[in-house]
Amino acid sequence: MPSTFHTLERHNLFRHPSDQKYDYPALQEIVAPHIESFNALFYPAKNGLLNLAVANLEAKVVSDVPDDMKNIGNKLKNNVQVERPLAPGANKQSTTRKIYPTECRERLSTYRGKIHVNLHWQVNDGPINVERREMGYLPIMVKSNRCNIRHMYPKELVRHHEESDEMGGYFIINGIEKIIRLLLVQRRNYPMALIRNSFLKRGPMFTPYGVNIRCAREDGTTRSFGINYLKDGDCVFRFSWKRQEYTIPLVLVLKSLLDTSDKEIFDAVVQGDFTNTFVTDRVELMLRSFNVHGIYTKHECTSFLGERFRVSIRLPPFFTSEDVGNYLIDEVVLVHLKDRRDKFNMLIFMVRKLYALVAGECCADDPDSPQNQEVLLGGHLYGMIIKEKLDDFLNIVVSLISQHVSRKKPVDFFDKKFLSQIVNSTKFDLGQKLNYFLATGNLLSSMTMDLSQSSGYTVVAERLNFYRYISHFQSIHRGSFFAELKTTTVRKLRPEAWGFICPVHTPDGSPCGLLNHLTSSCKIITAKLPADNLIQKLNLLGITKKAADAGRAKARGPVLSVQLDGRIVGWCRQSIAESIVERLRHWKTMKEHEIPLELELGYIPPSSAGQYPGLYLFSTPARMMRPVKFLPNGKIDMIGSFEQVYMNIACQNDTIIPGLTTHQEISPHNMLSVLANLTPFSDHNQSPRNMYQCQMAKQTMGTPSSAYVHRTDNKLYRLQTGQAPIVRPKLHDDLGLDAWLNGTNAIVAVLSYTGYDMEDAMIINQQAHQRGFAYGNIYKSVVVDLYEQRKHGEPLSKRFMLGSDVTDAVRKFLDKDGLPFIGTRLEEGSPLYAYYNETTGSTTIKKYKDTELAYVDEVRLIGDDKGEYDPQKIHIKLRVPRPPVIGDKFSSRHGQKGVLSQLWPQWDMPFTESGMQPDIIINPHAFPSRMTIGMFIESLAGKAGALHGMAQDCAPFKFAENTSAMNDSDENPPAMDYFGEQLRCAGFNYHGNEPMYSGITGEEFRADIYIGVVYYQRLRHMVSDKWQVRSTGPVHQLTMQPVKGRKRAGGIRFGEMERDALLAHGVSYCLQDRLLNCSDYAKCLICKKCGSIFSVLVRRGMVTQTERKIDCKICKSSQHLSLIKIPYAFKYLATELMSMGVKIKIETSP
Amino acid sequence: MNPQIDLTDRNGLQGDKWVGPKPEIKIQDLTEENIRFTLSNTDLSMANALRRIMISEVPTIAIDMVEIELNTSVLADEFIAHRLGLIPLDSTEAEKIKYTRDCSCSQYCPICSVEMTLNVKCTQENVTKDVTSKDLISSDPRVVPIYSGKNAPGVLIAKLRKGQELKIKCIAKKGVAKEHAKWSPCAAIAFEYDPHNRLRHTEYWFEEDEKKEWPKSKVGAEEPEPSEGEPFDYNLKPNKFYFNVE
Repeated sequence: MPSTFHTLERHNLFRHPSDQKYDYPALQEIVAPHIESFNALFYPAKNGLLNLAVANLEAKVVSDVPDDMKNIGNKLKNNVQVERPLAPGANKQSTTRKIYPTECRERLSTYRGKIHVNLHWQVNDGPINVERREMGYLPIMVKSNRCNIRHMYPKELVRHHEESDEMGGYFIINGIEKIIRLLLVQRRNYPMALIRNSFLKRGPMFTPYGVNIRCAREDGTTRSFGINYLKDGDCVFRFSWKRQEYTIPLVLVLKSLLDTSDKEIFDAVVQGDFTNTFVTDRVELMLRSFNVHGIYTKHECTSFLGERFRVSIRLPPFFTSEDVGNYLIDEVVLVHLKDRRDKFNMLIFMVRKLYALVAGECCADDPDSPQNQEVLLGGHLYGMIIKEKLDDFLNIVVSLISQHVSRKKPVDFFDKKFLSQIVNSTKFDLGQKLNYFLATGNLLSSMTMDLSQSSGYTVVAERLNFYRYISHFQSIHRGSFFAELKTTTVRKLRPEAWGFICPVHTPDGSPCGLLNHLTSSCKIITAKLPADNLIQKLNLLGITKKAADAGRAKARGPVLSVQLDGRIVGWCRQSIAESIVERLRHWKTMKEHEIPLELELGYIPPSSAGQYPGLYLFSTPARMMRPVKFLPNGKIDMIGSFEQVYMNIACQNDTIIPGLTTHQEISPHNMLSVLANLTPFSDHNQSPRNMYQCQMAKQTMGTPSSAYVHRTDNKLYRLQTGQAPIVRPKLHDDLGLDAWLNGTNAIVAVLSYTGYDMEDAMIINQQAHQRGFAYGNIYKSVVVDLYEQRKHGEPLSKRFMLGSDVTDAVRKFLDKDGLPFIGTRLEEGSPLYAYYNETTGSTTIKKYKDTELAYVDEVRLIGDDKGEYDPQKIHIKLRVPRPPVIGDKFSSRHGQKGVLSQLWPQWDMPFTESGMQPDIIINPHAFPSRMTIGMFIESLAGKAGALHGMAQDCAPFKFAENTSAMNDSDENPPAMDYFGEQLRCAGFNYHGNEPMYSGITGEEFRADIYIGVVYYQRLRHMVSDKWQVRSTGPVHQLTMQPVKGRKRAGGIRFGEMERDALLAHGVSYCLQDRLLNCSDYAKCLICKKCGSIFSVLVRRGMVTQTERKIDCKICKSSQHLSLIKIPYAFKYLATELMSMGVKIKIETSP
Repeated sequence: MNPQIDLTDRNGLQGDKWVGPKPEIKIQDLTEENIRFTLSNTDLSMANALRRIMISEVPTIAIDMVEIELNTSVLADEFIAHRLGLIPLDSTEAEKIKYTRDCSCSQYCPICSVEMTLNVKCTQENVTKDVTSKDLISSDPRVVPIYSGKNAPGVLIAKLRKGQELKIKCIAKKGVAKEHAKWSPCAAIAFEYDPHNRLRHTEYWFEEDEKKEWPKSKVGAEEPEPSEGEPFDYNLKPNKFYFNVE
């Protein structure tokens, strides 16, 4: 167990940052999926996803002869280059042209690099010409392979004003750090059997049965389609094109793929099993019913298809129907496969799976289970968007050319200048489009991108504290589409998630179960694995090319299909499949035969009505994998979420079953996320408390950064007097979290004292408070941009400075440049900054508007990109001191939150015999119902650690549950005994109790008090941000009722239910006070005779006179007038009704 | 060292009607930092009052006002001011300094305060300079920061890198801990009576064995251990109190 705080080591690292290695490599691991997926866009240089994507863009064709179908014009195709962030060439002042992330953060600009596109074009079959075009500036991920601080180690990072362990993984957009969220999506290239009632709505013949597949091209872009079972046993092919759904007969697709015969299709589906009449009948029917159309050959089928889709698929008019049909087949059917035969085989496999599903031979796959899911990574999504936008660009170019053609403008394809002019005159800024995507998280069009949501892709990486910050990188969302779903099945925790998704770390409330977090050990594969020789190896291991070959030995068990990344590579029997898996697993763990370790060996054994059997190998990127120990050779094996379901993995030694168990968990902590792992003794807590702690750790006022002076966040919280926790798991040290303090070790006594600790309130020692306990600050930013205030096209006329018209009182606050002195104390109404308007010659002084006291911490002048003008933008950082006050929220690390209710003087606080007085008193009633035993143990461990001067390990599952369950060898005793013994050695009570004395009388308490050291977090919810009070104040113009909102000094709604409560109490005077006198009380004249409040008017001609005569217009007299009191809202209602011709007559009695 | 102090002398209780045994303080141990003594022949309330007063009402001197002329360190002004306030100063002469509220001056003057200056700049490359209480220069040799030994390092105030500078004038004043904890003269005050629980003010909770689970009181030897099965005298009152003031 670790017993040292590594204080000296950390001091040393802090003073002498390394230039060789990272101090805490585990931190870098957390963001790896983000960075690596972005890197995959450009690496390897020739086969980066971006280049693959561009290669996959089909050539656009345009003809210069409008109606001639035969003359093929030029083709366009492109490839992409992205530079590192550099200052624009026009800037003459900068000393280095490289731009570093910190500059973008401080200048509130975007970290981006130039993007170039090389456009290839060709006339007929002439030579290929290249046209180079700039596409604006593309936002770059920090620490990716396009980033300027990529290979920097702590020493250099610090020099560039980064954290010493800067992890990167985010984009900087207008100074704000943005992350592309990880999303859970359907596993690629794996056909999933589905039973969905929504299929019934597709048409009269439809059944709930279907098989869906999401196919991914090499570049990561995907296309999904499905086949559906019809009531008569036929199958249809269902796909969507430009948000429109189409269904076509499956046989048409099969026959369009290859020149095939009915017999071939029949044989392929039936696979020699003629006894299965369920399948044979249906295949026969399917083939027969298609023959009605009278089209047989591949040519006929594709032409038939092309004819019907020519209108929806926009292709140049000179394409033949067959071309259109082939284009459709290539673009829709199993796009992950290139070979037509492969496509055919896979489609047949899907049909077999569908029939098996209908016959009840296999069950439906669960789309919400991590087994059938993979991760949509930020970098991959980024690439998909770029690809789509480039496609848009090509379309614009093509349409521009055809416009020229149709308008009979001079067009000369052989003139290079002509095309260059067209390409460069097209308005298109790719960088800006991606900038928009990152800033808002919205996809402008997702027509071809096969995604289920159009917004919510990016989140701000909030630096509230470091824990929240790292959780952003681990968080993984199911998709905002599911958030609106009424069913809760998607949110359920599935056993398949074990080890990949943390069961504890999910918020409660609306995103519960949708917003999850990866476990600390979960890795995401970001690149396609090299698996070229795998097929050869499989052939050697005994798979056969044809199903029938393997099926000849039918008696020896069913025939399984062997697939690699959604391609059928062969067939084999069960026993062979098992031996293949065994052999491959051995090879990959031993790193033999060039089998990559991250290859997933998903073997589903045959079963009765279980999942559809087969051997599914995956080498694709975006899969979740995690390390476990492979028992036969003791090596580390990486397992995926698909294969895990059928593997026997023991957790700890006692669960190993000889002969069955093949793997063992490296550590039971691997099932928890980083944050959940940091909850001390979480195995002793009731589970919801651990969930609450994960939430609260992220709301704690802590240490968000170690480079405060280089940060410009809108709001930054800082705990001034943080301490390293005494009780910490090993992970805490591995991640170097002592640099990101999140709380204070407090002496906590559990007793009921003075009554101020009732109902989750807590008492804090006043003297501890005066010595700086839990003292914090908030940094707030004020950004002013004079450039934006100027009207478009106007010259710059304002600048920050003080004119001669400024009083001395203001000059105490502001310097000659119009900016405040550093350290100035600001109260409400103090001058904050001033600017001088050259046209009017006057100075405008802007004031500090908040009611809270603040100090000016920093002032930053921000110039423009090119360095042309005087700085027009400033950033003022204000520091708001926030000592703990009554009403502030605190919590321990066990989901035990409480509100500070009283600062109690030290001399009145209870004390122990050694004179110890608690910092915090909490009520014992906080425990029985919540069962946070972990907090008791933390208190015990903290006390022992403080007494012996050592750090205590608090990782879960470390201690035996009770003495009898103890193993005699390696296991630790129960936590209570372990720490109890330590306490006894230090001369304290074994159970952590101590006799205590009342500070007021000096008398010893009847009972001994549980007192120890608990790490307390101060939460960001502070009364200073929340108090709201109003006596009189602003009212709403229309209703004359008080406005709402704290900012506007509004009231708190006294609603219908509150009204009910007062009615029930019979406190009518109080009710009238709330609802009338303190609200929209109004006086009004009424004519008692006609009962109208609107007919009462000032007599004509007397409006301007002082002595007015008031009459009722209807009754023409003033006799019956009297003054009544009504709610103004009633008057408003009467007016509205009057406008509709409804009169309100009020009957009055004296 | 006088082992016995007669409290009655100081409090002038000689002429009072009370005729019982005189309260007594027996000092067992006295160092620069620690005093251990036993108070006897008095009431619990009296003993506790003594404890409370030691915590809260013994006047000492601490830095109360800070004028910051220059602060280019990484710490905020008010934070440095707070740290300065908590530095312990030699308060043996506190009697001779007036409270500002009793003084005729408007803010502070040499009668009611001591001025101290802190003027440090880090000029060396690649060195972190520690600013400690040893850098505080007092205008009055009687009131200086105190340390636990000759070679003890001072109390750390801030750390400076090259070019950073602190230029601060501090005004130390007399005060009591009731007002702010920085004027507190003591750390913890150990206080105990009835080590063998003869009075049964409390009940020792135990799981299996009381003797095994509870440590023996350090002052237990001072009083005779009750024999097994001794009858309980409910009229007993505590009259011997063990203190240890740090």
